[in-house]
Amino acid sequence: MSNAADSKSKLDNLELPWVEKYRPKKLDDIVGNEDIVERLKVIAATGNMPHMIISGLSGIGKTTSVHCLAHELLFDNNNSNLTLEQKKKLYSEAVLELNASDDRGIDVVRNQIKNFAQKRVQLPRGRHKIIILDEADSMTSGAQQALRRTMEIYSDTTRFAFACNQSNKIIEPLQSRCAILKFNKLTDEQVLKRLLEIVKLEGNIDYTNDGLEALIFTADGDMRQAINNLQSTVAGFRLVNGDNVFKIVDSPHPLIITKIILSDSLDEALDQLKKLWNDGYSPTDIITTFFRVVKNLNQLKEPTRLEMMKFIGFTHLRILEGVTTYLQLAGLVCNLHKLK
Amino acid sequence: MVDISEFFGKKRGARLEPSSRNKKRSTTTSKVSSKKHKSTPSNEKKNTLEAIDILNDPDEEQNSDNSLIMIKESSKIDKPTKNASSHSLLREKKESSDKGKARKVLSPPPKIKDSKLINDKKSISTPSKNNYTSVNELLMDIPSVDLDNVNVKDVHKYDFLNQEHEKETSMQQPPNFPEGAPECLLGLTIVFTGILPNLSRPEAENIAKKYGAKVTKAISRKTSVVVLGNEAGPTKVQKIKDLKIKVIDEDGFKQLVSGMPKGGGDSIEATKAREKKKKMEEEVKKESEKLDREERENFKRANSKLNSLNSGGGSNPINNNNNSKILDPNEQLWTVKYAPKRLGEICGNKSSVQKLKTWLEQWPTNAKNGFKYNGLSFRAAMLSGPPGIGKTTAAHLVAKELGYDILEKNASDVRSKSLLNETVKNTLDNTSVVGFFKPADSKNLENQNKFVIIMDEVDGMSGGDRGGVGQLAAFCRKTATPMILICNERRLPKMRPFDKVCLEVQFRRPDATSIKSRLLTIAFREKFEIDAHIIDNLVQATRGDIRQIINLLSNISSTTKKIGAENINEIAKSWEKDVALKPFDITQQLFSGSIYTPLGSSRFPLWKKMELYFDDIDFTPLMIQENYLNTRPTNLKNGMTHLQAVAEAANDVSLGDLVDKKIHSSAQLWSLLPFHSIISTILPASLVSGQMAGRINFSAWLGQNSKTGKYYRMLQELYYHTRLSTSTDKDGFRLDYIPTLKNSLLNPLLTEGSTAIPDIIHVMDGYYLSKDDWDSIMEFMVGPDVTEPLLKKIPAAVKSSFTRKYNATTHPVSIYTPGTTSFGSAKKDKPDLDEVVDADDNVPPPEDDQNKSTEDDEIDFKKDKLIKQAKPRSRKVSAIAKSSAGTKKRKVVKK
Repeated sequence: MSNAADSKSKLDNLELPWVEKYRPKKLDDIVGNEDIVERLKVIAATGNMPHMIISGLSGIGKTTSVHCLAHELLFDNNNSNLTLEQKKKLYSEAVLELNASDDRGIDVVRNQIKNFAQKRVQLPRGRHKIIILDEADSMTSGAQQALRRTMEIYSDTTRFAFACNQSNKIIEPLQSRCAILKFNKLTDEQVLKRLLEIVKLEGNIDYTNDGLEALIFTADGDMRQAINNLQSTVAGFRLVNGDNVFKIVDSPHPLIITKIILSDSLDEALDQLKKLWNDGYSPTDIITTFFRVVKNLNQLKEPTRLEMMKFIGFTHLRILEGVTTYLQLAGLVCNLHKLK
Repeated sequence: MVDISEFFGKKRGARLEPSSRNKKRSTTTSKVSSKKHKSTPSNEKKNTLEAIDILNDPDEEQNSDNSLIMIKESSKIDKPTKNASSHSLLREKKESSDKGKARKVLSPPPKIKDSKLINDKKSISTPSKNNYTSVNELLMDIPSVDLDNVNVKDVHKYDFLNQEHEKETSMQQPPNFPEGAPECLLGLTIVFTGILPNLSRPEAENIAKKYGAKVTKAISRKTSVVVLGNEAGPTKVQKIKDLKIKVIDEDGFKQLVSGMPKGGGDSIEATKAREKKKKMEEEVKKESEKLDREERENFKRANSKLNSLNSGGGSNPINNNNNSKILDPNEQLWTVKYAPKRLGEICGNKSSVQKLKTWLEQWPTNAKNGFKYNGLSFRAAMLSGPPGIGKTTAAHLVAKELGYDILEKNASDVRSKSLLNETVKNTLDNTSVVGFFKPADSKNLENQNKFVIIMDEVDGMSGGDRGGVGQLAAFCRKTATPMILICNERRLPKMRPFDKVCLEVQFRRPDATSIKSRLLTIAFREKFEIDAHIIDNLVQATRGDIRQIINLLSNISSTTKKIGAENINEIAKSWEKDVALKPFDITQQLFSGSIYTPLGSSRFPLWKKMELYFDDIDFTPLMIQENYLNTRPTNLKNGMTHLQAVAEAANDVSLGDLVDKKIHSSAQLWSLLPFHSIISTILPASLVSGQMAGRINFSAWLGQNSKTGKYYRMLQELYYHTRLSTSTDKDGFRLDYIPTLKNSLLNPLLTEGSTAIPDIIHVMDGYYLSKDDWDSIMEFMVGPDVTEPLLKKIPAAVKSSFTRKYNATTHPVSIYTPGTTSFGSAKKDKPDLDEVVDADDNVPPPEDDQNKSTEDDEIDFKKDKLIKQAKPRSRKVSAIAKSSAGTKKRKVVKK
């Protein structure tokens, strides 16, 4: 017994990634996408979960909400008296979870998934076995084809939940069988709220407002990235302020790049670039940021932007080929300046 | 690595205070949506009740005179001036403004999202509301449009592209349109023609449909009102004149909508429409009651059966989950719960279902005749069509209704050639035993021991199902059991083996009318409200997928109890299927000029264009390359001619190819992919974007590429054969030897006829060329030297005597041994050999056997083939041994 306790305390000392530590356990805890989560709650309460596809960008809670839903479906008030052991057993029996790290070729679909669908499990009334296929857009179309009839024939006992980034990678027949839930990007307030919660729960974290702002800015609606960056900033510098965050995130600040592109005087632009270069950013990072900034730079007309991206692209090409000199970037900035 | 999502969706504007701005936006939107939800939850119900009330009221039925015809004769008389009599002032103003707007009709209607403004407008435009009781009175007040002064459009300039574009915006409601009473246009048949100044056609049609009107495209006697815009077709205008139908303009339409009373007044049409609606409601009610009853009976029967089975088992709170027979229907998916139980319940595709049924009915008779006579005499049927429209259901129901037992195989079963042989083949000639267990009184006794094989998702055969398609096609030819095959895409190349061996039954996407009553029934039973008019929108959003709609309803209804015109746009948008676009659609969109204008690029930003490229990163650049010459540019830069634009686009395409090489070559610079999307696709497309001048062609590059490969292989072969007597490399052989060889091998045949044959054979032997090589040399010529017309000139007698003489004598053949020069070639040829094997796989075995036997007959041919193909050593050795064992060949080994 003491052994177990020992290992447990060790576990506590080891710091979990905050993403796991603060992963929502209940549907109520999920931040953002209220409409959809509300619907999931209704499903969790009434049972009869439909097949569903949850799509959206990364880090906005797709997988988490599926897990929460599965848990709440299986362990509702009727059987809350189960021990942890029993719960685990029930969960492992009633939920099959496969993600991109598992083999999900057509053979697995035909054998493992089909067998699971055929398996008999004692479940509370109105509940079904659940097969969670995470990152379903990486499944081959053959494997998806093989799911079609399985989803129908065993729908009385087994329900499917797919999570994916791009729902257009799911073949149309599967989409036709599913309820499609599109998760939207989290708003900055939602990310901020959660970050503040975590900061509060962790205690003794020093932060400045511009630090949080930088976190939110760099995460761009991706909660997971925001939390990861927060943790690494805390681990690295203790203080969460703008500079530290950008040091951790380590890509040239888009605003500086925007300034370089839009600057009226070439000298000024080159000075800015020199500063970036001297800060030690890698040319690849600088050039990719250039590309991304120009892509969304609405101050310029689209034809101009396209011409700019042409120059940027070829500079990128040269950099990738190994010509990682300052001259390349300076030449690019001159070219861009000429275009304006 | 490239994270694709990183390149989309991220809109990093330069924002200094992102949080505050976002907050504002989100609050405003939420306010609007909450308002929307609250505004009319109970109105609808009341209205229908009232409508019925009005129906019962006898007093109001009096003025049902429907003389809608009121074109003013006077307007015809004073033709040149615009002053068309009485209401001149108002209309003149209007018309002049119309003319002004006509120039810029392409720009969409102004979108004002401020709800206040809508209210203002409403109050302005509806001062005279509720004075009217029938359409006629109101229409009387609305000024007719002077047909002679209508801006008739030039017929030749029909703008398909623009029309295409309009479709995209069809889901949006124009915000500045007055709101009318619900159902106010009930019973009217409205035709929209021409371009309305402020509304796009779909918007206008949406409005009309929303208020219960029937919108048709063609003008007929039944048309009650025509809403005329600018540039109406001249034939239509003529027709309107002929039929003397009331014509109004957009403002008139607005007036009509805002002025009409609830329920469409009391003209005959409105009453009829109301009656129809009521009837439909009754039907829905009846239908759902029937379903209810059935369900209860089923449930009871299943329960009693169970009780009799385990009498006194005690009630167990935990349900036996896998025993689907006693499953409470409430635990089922709606798609299962409301799946059709009889053939008649299938929505749409009636004729297809009937065709399938007739086929299966006649199957036994046809079987007796050996499938020889009429058009339905196939041993197998192939159902094809998009997902979610009831193909599988139809197959099952037809089989069930005719008393067949079903054996189903689908994509979740392995269906390779060998496994099909093991499992399905045995069953082809078997009978089912299920019939023996049926109660004696069941119908369809004659079919009791027959069964039908349903092969679902045939196009899903892939990867592990090697040779399955070919084998299945072979079964189709000889099966003694009916087979029903189901697939989505009939036209895929891999479905080719099924051509002409199956009865083709096509399923199409059903239209809204055939789904409507079914959906209303479901809605009634599940106790939520759905507006009958918006079913069109659902059908459009899901592209006619019934299953999807039912899923949608099941999901939405868990939180919302009412689906009406208010929230439909939102729902339809979020449920629109994200299907990867086909290369043709992508090309069409990328070349449309409207997305590159300053306005267009704000609506369809760059990252969305890049998304189009990422839908199919292999084909999009090729399609652009194929079609960039086929456009009529509308967005030329200042001072640029079409030719210059094309030249620049061509330059970009070729640069794109360079980048592509970097990505796909050994360098594998995949992070250049976003750049490739710009340089290879968006940049050239933006330069020449406009209207497509013709059909969009499929990329010819693939065909050309494989042709090049083929010629290279042929050249390689010729080069090896002649290696002993030539002294050049491959290119040199093509450039120097082949033209000369062609002259000396072909010309004598033309000039001297069969007397030249021995000489030609002599030349061939000198270069160790076989008869096949002779053919390939002829194939190599291009341009003015092309040999095809010359070959046709050779008399058939000469040709055949050439072949005969060649085969009659022995010829030297050079054999190259593997390990030296041929090693490289064998390696290069490898992928092609794979393809060959694949293609052979699809060919059913009997043909295979035939091939083999013919090969065996022609020993010469086989030998040559062996030498050419550079097969593995063991076979070659045996071949050499064989040839040395005393055939008529003389062997020449490399010195």
